[in-house]
Amino acid sequence: MPAMIELEQLTKHYPGRSAPAVDSLDLTIAEGEIVILVGPSGCGKTTTLKMINRIIEPSSGIIRLQGEDVTRANPDHLRRRIGYVIQQVGLFPHQTIGRNITTVPRLLGWSQQRIDDRLDELMHLVGMDPGTYRDRYPKELSGGQRQRVGVARALAADPPVMLMDEPFGALDPISRERLQNEFLRLQEEIRKTIVFVTHDIDEAITMGDRIAILREGSTVAQYDTPETVLAAPADDFVREFIGSGAALKRLGLARVRDVELGQWPTSPIGSGREAALRALASSEHGSVLLLDDRRRPLRWVRADELEQPGSLERLGVEVRGTVEPTTTLAHALDAMVGSRVGAVVVVDGSGALLGTVDMRVIMAAVDTMRTDAHEQDREEVPSR
Amino acid sequence: MSLGLEDPYARTDTVVTEQRPPGSRTAQWRRYLGVPALLALVCVGVVVFVAFADLDDVERRLLTFDGLRTATLVHLELVGLSTLLVIVLAVPLGILVSRPWARRLTPVVVGLGNIAQSVPSLGVIVLFAILFAPGFGGAVVALVVYAFLPILRNTIVGLQQIDPFVVESARGMGMSSNRVLREIELPLAVPVILAGVRTAAVIGVGTATIGALTNAGGLGSVVYGGIVQSRTPVIVVASILTAVLALLVDHVLGVAENVLRPRGL
Repeated sequence: MPAMIELEQLTKHYPGRSAPAVDSLDLTIAEGEIVILVGPSGCGKTTTLKMINRIIEPSSGIIRLQGEDVTRANPDHLRRRIGYVIQQVGLFPHQTIGRNITTVPRLLGWSQQRIDDRLDELMHLVGMDPGTYRDRYPKELSGGQRQRVGVARALAADPPVMLMDEPFGALDPISRERLQNEFLRLQEEIRKTIVFVTHDIDEAITMGDRIAILREGSTVAQYDTPETVLAAPADDFVREFIGSGAALKRLGLARVRDVELGQWPTSPIGSGREAALRALASSEHGSVLLLDDRRRPLRWVRADELEQPGSLERLGVEVRGTVEPTTTLAHALDAMVGSRVGAVVVVDGSGALLGTVDMRVIMAAVDTMRTDAHEQDREEVPSR
Repeated sequence: MSLGLEDPYARTDTVVTEQRPPGSRTAQWRRYLGVPALLALVCVGVVVFVAFADLDDVERRLLTFDGLRTATLVHLELVGLSTLLVIVLAVPLGILVSRPWARRLTPVVVGLGNIAQSVPSLGVIVLFAILFAPGFGGAVVALVVYAFLPILRNTIVGLQQIDPFVVESARGMGMSSNRVLREIELPLAVPVILAGVRTAAVIGVGTATIGALTNAGGLGSVVYGGIVQSRTPVIVVASILTAVLALLVDHVLGVAENVLRPRGL
């Protein structure tokens, strides 16, 4: 991927302070990626972000956008090429939602027809009905709706780059998660280059294609994919910043389709008790999975239950909470812990059995991830 | 009151735009017209008194319809002209000292305004009558000095109270600073600036009566005529008319605040 944004030796000194807020930062951001700047408060991540569109003017260093040095370019013209979303949203309270969203197209002098069409498109894009919301005022919207408008407004003139400063930080946890997911889905379509600031490592892991973990002075402690950051933290600072639960967080990134599934003894429910016992005898598992004629899992049955009288349809327990290949390992683990047999059934789109996830599968996956990350780390030194 | 942030009109307006209950327009008109109707009633009372009361010759000479009408008009001119001049001078100055590069000037300018207003109004009027010519012009200049601070301060406060993130997002989208001022900051500061204009104008109505001392005319001359001749009915009639004028100015500017306040606030 070609570089979209290049920061070279970028530095910000605030008058009256000895240490620079951002100290000779070098960072390259590839086209179409979401890069998260994450770090403890006061590390200079927001200052870094705001220097890219020169809301804060750098003291020294170079900013390149699409290969072009924009460090001295007209800042107003530069900013019209960069979408800007901040935590406080900053909608214009005296203007309607429609007028708010079309700010940049109007600055660029688009025709009224083009502006109207774009407004409809944008409102649909962020899931707001134009007829209902176009003529409302910001104070009539909820926090989540306002941030949707903020995102639509930043996307209005289809800029190649978006800067987002803790955009979901002021929302309640439920709205935040919904907007994060919506935004990731939106990004699948729009493929913007996004620089995103947060102090929340979990948000960084969820949202980022690449994470830059910053320490004081906006120095890069590690710049890598979330998987690698979690599996192979560069140093103690990164390890401490990730905090506990790194292994669980990593399971949130891997999907069931990425791991080798376990195989459980199965038997068609129509073949009767003897077949089920035979299947059980040939494996080390304590129970057998009964399938219907289209290989859809029906019941878990233990050996001692097979000894009991009665129809097979009523023995053991029903199979519940199946997962699909696209499910994350974290969710699979949750379903697994909740099941009676310590395993969760993986099915395809039609409900047919693909395999199972149990503790051994999870542990093997964690092992593989760790090895992969180390190998990748060795190949990519220096890691930027 | 001087900042207009606790203004009763602001409250009622918010309710109207937010809820828009049926018939709210009529309610609004009733509120807009109620005060003028009451003041008109008071004026009718004054006219009836002047026409039919048992007045002596001196009182008759001082209280003629023509004289009262001229005095009221001159009074309004004093206040109107000085307020307009202050708007033309103080609003741009307020904008100027609120620009980022001039922030350090703000306390100096507000301090000067404070000094101008803390001098007793009588002193200001007489001082400017001596400096300039006594009469209408000198009084207008004095009233300008006196009304300067409320409008200046409210312009500054009106611009400062704007959510800084609104300005930041406007700048971040590539609006020039002039455009941000024109399309974002000034509209958002309008309610506070107008509250300052209202305060200044109402104070102006009272202060303008002192202009009589320097021969500026207005209702003050009628009051002083009454004082010099010891005629209480004359003093009372002129005072009532001054009060009516002050209430009317306050009301009209209150309505203007409502009408000119941007929607969505």
